Amino acid sequence: MITRTASAARAVAVGGPILAAEGLRVRFGGLEAIGGLDLAVARGAIHGLIGPNGAGKTTVLNALTGFVRPSAGRLTFDGVETAGKGVAEIASLGLARTFQNIRLFGAMTVLESVLVGAHRRFHAGPLALVFGARKAREAERAAIAEAAELLDFVGLGPEVAARVATTLSYGHQRRVEIARALMSRPKLLLLDEPLAGMNAVEKVEIADLVRQVRERGISVLLIEHDMAVMRALCDRLTVLEYGKRLADGDPEAVLADPAVQAAYLGRAR
Amino acid sequence: MDYFGQLLANGLVLGAIYALAAVAFTLVYGVVRLVNFAFGELFMIGAFLTTSLMLDEVSLFGTPVPMPGLSFPLAALLAIVLTAGLGVVVDRIAYRPLRKAPRLAPLITSIAVSVVLQSLAQTIWGAEELRFPEFSLAAYPPVVLFGSIYLSVMDLVVMAAALLAMIGLTLFVSRSSLGRAMRASAEDQTAALLVGIPVDRVVGAAFAIGSGFAALAGLLYAQTYGFAHATMGFLPGLKALTAAVLGGIGSTPGAALGGVVLGLVEALGSGYLPNGSAWKDAISFVLLVGLLYVRPQGLLGRPELNSAGRGSLLGGAVEMQGWLRGLFGRFDHALEKSAGHGGKVALAALAAALVIGALVPSDYWLRILTTVVIYGMLASGLNVIVGFAGLLDLGFVAFWAVGSYLTSILFVLVLKDGFGIAPQEMWWLFYLNLPLGGLLAAGFAVLLGTPTLRLRGDYLAIMTLGFGEIVRVVAINWVGLTNGPMGIRGIPLPEIFGIPLASPRVLFFFAVALAGVVLFLVARLVRSYVGRAWVAIREDEEAAEAMGVPTARYKLYAYATSGFVGGFVGVFYAHYQQYISPLNFSLFENIILLMLIVLGGLGTFIGPFIGAVIWIVFLQLAIDIPFVQAHPETRFALLGVILIALMLFRPQGLAASARVDLTMRGARAKEGASDEPLGRRAQA
Repeated sequence: MITRTASAARAVAVGGPILAAEGLRVRFGGLEAIGGLDLAVARGAIHGLIGPNGAGKTTVLNALTGFVRPSAGRLTFDGVETAGKGVAEIASLGLARTFQNIRLFGAMTVLESVLVGAHRRFHAGPLALVFGARKAREAERAAIAEAAELLDFVGLGPEVAARVATTLSYGHQRRVEIARALMSRPKLLLLDEPLAGMNAVEKVEIADLVRQVRERGISVLLIEHDMAVMRALCDRLTVLEYGKRLADGDPEAVLADPAVQAAYLGRAR
Repeated sequence: MDYFGQLLANGLVLGAIYALAAVAFTLVYGVVRLVNFAFGELFMIGAFLTTSLMLDEVSLFGTPVPMPGLSFPLAALLAIVLTAGLGVVVDRIAYRPLRKAPRLAPLITSIAVSVVLQSLAQTIWGAEELRFPEFSLAAYPPVVLFGSIYLSVMDLVVMAAALLAMIGLTLFVSRSSLGRAMRASAEDQTAALLVGIPVDRVVGAAFAIGSGFAALAGLLYAQTYGFAHATMGFLPGLKALTAAVLGGIGSTPGAALGGVVLGLVEALGSGYLPNGSAWKDAISFVLLVGLLYVRPQGLLGRPELNSAGRGSLLGGAVEMQGWLRGLFGRFDHALEKSAGHGGKVALAALAAALVIGALVPSDYWLRILTTVVIYGMLASGLNVIVGFAGLLDLGFVAFWAVGSYLTSILFVLVLKDGFGIAPQEMWWLFYLNLPLGGLLAAGFAVLLGTPTLRLRGDYLAIMTLGFGEIVRVVAINWVGLTNGPMGIRGIPLPEIFGIPLASPRVLFFFAVALAGVVLFLVARLVRSYVGRAWVAIREDEEAAEAMGVPTARYKLYAYATSGFVGGFVGVFYAHYQQYISPLNFSLFENIILLMLIVLGGLGTFIGPFIGAVIWIVFLQLAIDIPFVQAHPETRFALLGVILIALMLFRPQGLAASARVDLTMRGARAKEGASDEPLGRRAQA
């Protein structure tokens, strides 16, 4: 049987949730995009969020990261109440994201873009910067080394570091975006359709990368349409339809659920 | 009551004119999301055309030309049609190619168009006022209401014309098929295009109608105040824009409401407030700034118009063709190669400046070169906020003014006039004032920057412009503090141990040293996490925020840095010029500085100086051409034309390839030598 009404509490048992939404509602004018969603991402899990187009997946992500203000509901991240907090503030708690349409900083090199992810770790004051204080230079050097390591981790060679990020191929831009997010040393990484527009080989590579991210101790919440990949990758799946939770639980079981299949393929009349 | 009634009547007349011009801004903004600053100039051209057509003879380019001497209605109609045509031409040449460009590009272009039109009008009609001719309608005795309120017949005509034009436009937009097409294009241009609406033609129509409204407003204004002048469109243009923003830009009823409100507030304010007529411009701008702070979408507007514009001028230029590409190719290559060697390039530039300073024989040219360095420094300060952080600031001159006034007031009004202390005895104060002026201006910048944080793009430009104007009006009217329009005279030259630096050569070297300090400060901040945060905000504010950059705070840092440079240079400027007045710190100066950066290259270190060299040297060389000698303002027209061309073909500016490294100098390991990776490669 399907855990269609599985409570958030069950996820806690796995490792305690890193992120939890209870009764999340998001309203745009007269339209209720998210209507009372419960979601719990277990610590150390790869959690998938699926649903037909327009189900509200990206809106959920935007609400979790503070881009849209929820009209009701409780959001907690790593034990901290986040509803109503600003985007930068939530990000600094250890929540990093990528965007559905890649959003890199034009005119910046790959290295510089990735370094922006480390922004919170720089503390040098204006005088230290102007006089090139040793501490400031060391922080910079350490960040650059870390960025180089992360670029390698996402599968980009050192030769791309000095290229302007937006001139790279689509697949490479995706990797830069992931590296930039990882640079903030997040506890949870939110990926919004990282496989969109990728060929079969690239999909396998990115899926592999997601696994390795988890091995580094970073939890992942992933929106994706490729069911084969999601089945293989996720520890848990939440299905969204019309802004409500349709199913939640083990991927195999969830994907076998007739209601989920109906949502994707249409119902037999 | 009589006094109040008369003020009310005057306010309504003024409000009707503002409302008409506000419609121009609002209509075009509604369709193409462009604040066309040039409407103020189309307003002025409408006034000039009407006046000229009504006269029998007008002096054009300094030579008398016979004119038809038409009646007022006929001349007005012809002027409106001609101005509407001009508006369409401007759109076709300057704006249409930029429809898909980042929003900063058309905004800057419209400022350039404004400069071109104003300079050309001055070239054609001269720098003097053209008197509006008498005609029969205006000679009728005034109508008297309630026994004591006087309204001339033309006042009634103004109000009636405004009312009719508004009703006509509203009907046109709601009923006609072109009006429907306009509304569709306003909602979604791509979708409109897909369902077969010729969007370019619709936009052209919006420009034609808008320009016609601006012309109507301009000619009624000229009639009411009895003259036409090349700069007459500037303030009413800003007021009309204020009215449009007040009512909610994009909404026609809003523009009407905003215009009337503004007219009434100005009339009543100047009538009732102490010394009100001197402060009436400030009243409008305070109203504007206050409203933008509380309710940026205006009284009747929609909030989404203040949305984030993504991307900067540095991307998405039209591809250059043929010889132009060849011309820039080599230049770009050289700059690209230099990008990796910031320190060496800086030393080479310093050496070049010193050699030039030592070799140039004439004091005259040394003074010009010093001006180049001063403008280059100021432009570098503005570049921090516009070029790096991507915030279009039209109030930068205020920071410059703060530094200049601080040192001038201390030296002249306090020490010399107040305590009778000669400047020689306190020569060291100048060196203290440099950082002090910078810090004061930085504080001032944070103060002015804070309310603008919620605003983006066009609204930000409008609000900073309002601040700049308020500061100027205060500087003119607060005579006790600033000496008012007379300015402050007798500011001592910079001195060392009581010896004045009187030689132009020494002053040039001094300016170069200051420029070194300014560039060093700016470069150290930009080449760090601070600069990366600024550029990230410029390129994609939301993504920056998602990476943990507190964007509001970093915008304020950009304001503060920009303000510091402005104040720092302002102190030197005052001592170098030895005389300052509010005229030194006009919006026009701000626009020139902005043009210099765009010309040289936004977001580069060398760009502001390249812009300054080209501009100041050109100003001097061009003055030897006889035609330019007779019409010096044609130089500004040419600068505007160059800028428009640049926005179309190379919005990144001349030195675009001198891209700035955003990592700390020396922090990066030797190029290419990366440490052996710790993580496993994802490619398996």
